[in-house]
Amino acid sequence: MKRGCLLVTVLVLFSFGWVLAREKTQITFWHAMGGWRVEFIERMVADFNLTHPDIEVTVEYKGSYRDTLNAALAAARAGDAPHIVHSFEVGTQMNLDSGIFVPLEDLIDQYGLIVPWEDYIDPALNYYRVSGRLYCMPWNSSNPILYYNKTLLNAAGVEMPKKPTFEDIISISRAVKEKGLAEYGITWCLHSWYLEQWMADMGVDLVNNDNGRSGYATEINLLDPAAIKIMEWWKQLYDEGLWVNPGRENWSQARQVFISGQSAMLISSTSDVTLMENAAVEQGFELGTAFIPVPSDYERHGVVIGGGALWVTGGHPDSELRAAAEFVVWMTQVAQTIRWHQGTGYFPIRKTARTALEMEGWFDRYPNYRTALDQLQETQPITATQGALMGNFLEARTFIEDAIEAILAGTPVPEALAGAKAKIDQGLQDYLELVGG
Amino acid sequence: MRSKFPNRWLPLVILLPTLAVCALFLYYPVAQSFSWSLYRAAFMGLKRLYVGTQNYVRLFTSPDYVHTIGVSFLFAGGVVFLGLSVSLAIALLANQKVRGARIYRVSLIWPYALSPAVAGTIWLFLLNPTSGVVNYFFETLFGVKPDWLTSGRLALLSVTVAAVWKNLGYNIVFFLAGLQNVPGEILEAARVDGAGAWRTFWKITFPLLSPTTFFLFIMNIIYAFFGVFGLIDVMTKGGPVNATNILIYNLYRDAFQHNKWGMAAAQSVILFVFVVILTLIQFRTTGRRVHYGG
Repeated sequence: MKRGCLLVTVLVLFSFGWVLAREKTQITFWHAMGGWRVEFIERMVADFNLTHPDIEVTVEYKGSYRDTLNAALAAARAGDAPHIVHSFEVGTQMNLDSGIFVPLEDLIDQYGLIVPWEDYIDPALNYYRVSGRLYCMPWNSSNPILYYNKTLLNAAGVEMPKKPTFEDIISISRAVKEKGLAEYGITWCLHSWYLEQWMADMGVDLVNNDNGRSGYATEINLLDPAAIKIMEWWKQLYDEGLWVNPGRENWSQARQVFISGQSAMLISSTSDVTLMENAAVEQGFELGTAFIPVPSDYERHGVVIGGGALWVTGGHPDSELRAAAEFVVWMTQVAQTIRWHQGTGYFPIRKTARTALEMEGWFDRYPNYRTALDQLQETQPITATQGALMGNFLEARTFIEDAIEAILAGTPVPEALAGAKAKIDQGLQDYLELVGG
Repeated sequence: MRSKFPNRWLPLVILLPTLAVCALFLYYPVAQSFSWSLYRAAFMGLKRLYVGTQNYVRLFTSPDYVHTIGVSFLFAGGVVFLGLSVSLAIALLANQKVRGARIYRVSLIWPYALSPAVAGTIWLFLLNPTSGVVNYFFETLFGVKPDWLTSGRLALLSVTVAAVWKNLGYNIVFFLAGLQNVPGEILEAARVDGAGAWRTFWKITFPLLSPTTFFLFIMNIIYAFFGVFGLIDVMTKGGPVNATNILIYNLYRDAFQHNKWGMAAAQSVILFVFVVILTLIQFRTTGRRVHYGG
């Protein structure tokens, strides 16, 4: 009898617990930021859960952006998609066409959430706005910036302008190398991203149809004089031994070359600023930053926002979609943005956040972040800097990187770029037939 | 003698669990690969378009894919030849009766326990052009700093050496086992008859080892074609300019990076056919040109 009572009590308690637990709206969030950021994101999510007693967000690190997207697609096929997926900028067109996501702006309108859009920085919103609708929430935003070893440059008797030109890079590299101060002038990892950024900065669309924004892109502009100019310059730096190849998409090796003093300059993501500041202190050199270089005969248009955004998948009950949208908006609240920026180095994408950071003296302590933000804010809103939309962006990057490697190995620039263009155009055509028809 | 079952359904029932597992995890995916290879598919098959044999036609008319086939065979040849000869030489040394032989043997097998990603990272550090150990020695000794991983031929050589090293332990274990099975009396008889070490090895040990060698030959080919994905991904990502882009890496790239699932399925069918041929050769030749002792 006693035992029976106990059993009943336990069952009753259990079902209460179950009912209580069920009242919370359960949301899953998959992201693609490894390393120490996993814990950082978990803390942010825990804070959200704490302040939103009716919502329970479960967060999971799913590997690279590609892995995360593939996992989300597989889950969606099985009818069990995570509510929020973290995806990279170049996946935008793919995400749109995959059909598993709903435009964020629709959700925000539908549920009447209040978002002060005018406070968000434009380049970030522009990238993810397609045919006038914002599809996802820009979250971890970054772009390329030039880092330099001030101590080395001073020793060489040269000075870095805030907005250097291609020619400046060559002369500074030569000066450093001739005096034997560093083995190489500059480095950046062999990545298509740099070519894309330079083309945008020179005001040239990467693909046709207004960078793929007024319609599906059918052609890549790799034979534009700008692209050829960039590659000729890159090749010249390599041939003169002024640029060292740290390997394909090998970001850490490029940083290593710069930090260890083997090169005087580095072009890398703005999200490296904190890391670089710390490394410079450890290695005992003074760190400087500048805008990425452009050729002196081209006007500067600014950079394309890189990084990732948060996407909400469709096919969930209203309560869950609403909670997902709420979470996504919360993640870009001023307070969260400041915390995110200070913790990871990604841009604070809210204007108010910049003002607050300014008042706290953050940029006096870390002036290099100011360079990064200035470069972004001086960006002109044209299709080139809005960023290209391509369904086969990843494949295009592979072909572009193949072409860069071929150029460094001696293939003439126009020939290598024409080869890549032919393959990428075929890919664009195939993609269009598959999804656009 | 044929064993008899009480009724004809029992064997089927006993086999059922295995068949079910095979059907679910082997036959069904294989069938799906065959069907997907006739489509242009994206987003894990959420969108697809029937294209018939277009994927195959494109693969075999693409200079890049033909190049990839060439690279794969070159790589496999290097891995098999280098891998087998080096590990046989080491196994012979490790088979000597010296003090601490066991310690040597265990330490030789060790690299095999590493995951490909770890092995790849180790080689990445060693071959680092500016701060790697290998180039430190090359610069001190010869005054040059080769770009091991970013210049075409050297990159293929580097990943071949890394792949061989990674699989050494596996090969050595089998060669050691084979060597232990070579009857001591025969070797002693040869020595009594005045045969030198060289002659004894080629006339007695090597023929008696041929089952092991042949087994390892097949296993190493399979390893070179299917087991080195991790190394390639960590060390070169198939570059520079596809110099180390072997078939399995190209397949991975098309499926998981380029979102071209149909194209990748066609490539997996091609690899499937290749494995079928290899298996047939193995079945056919086993027992013929190979000398099984005893």
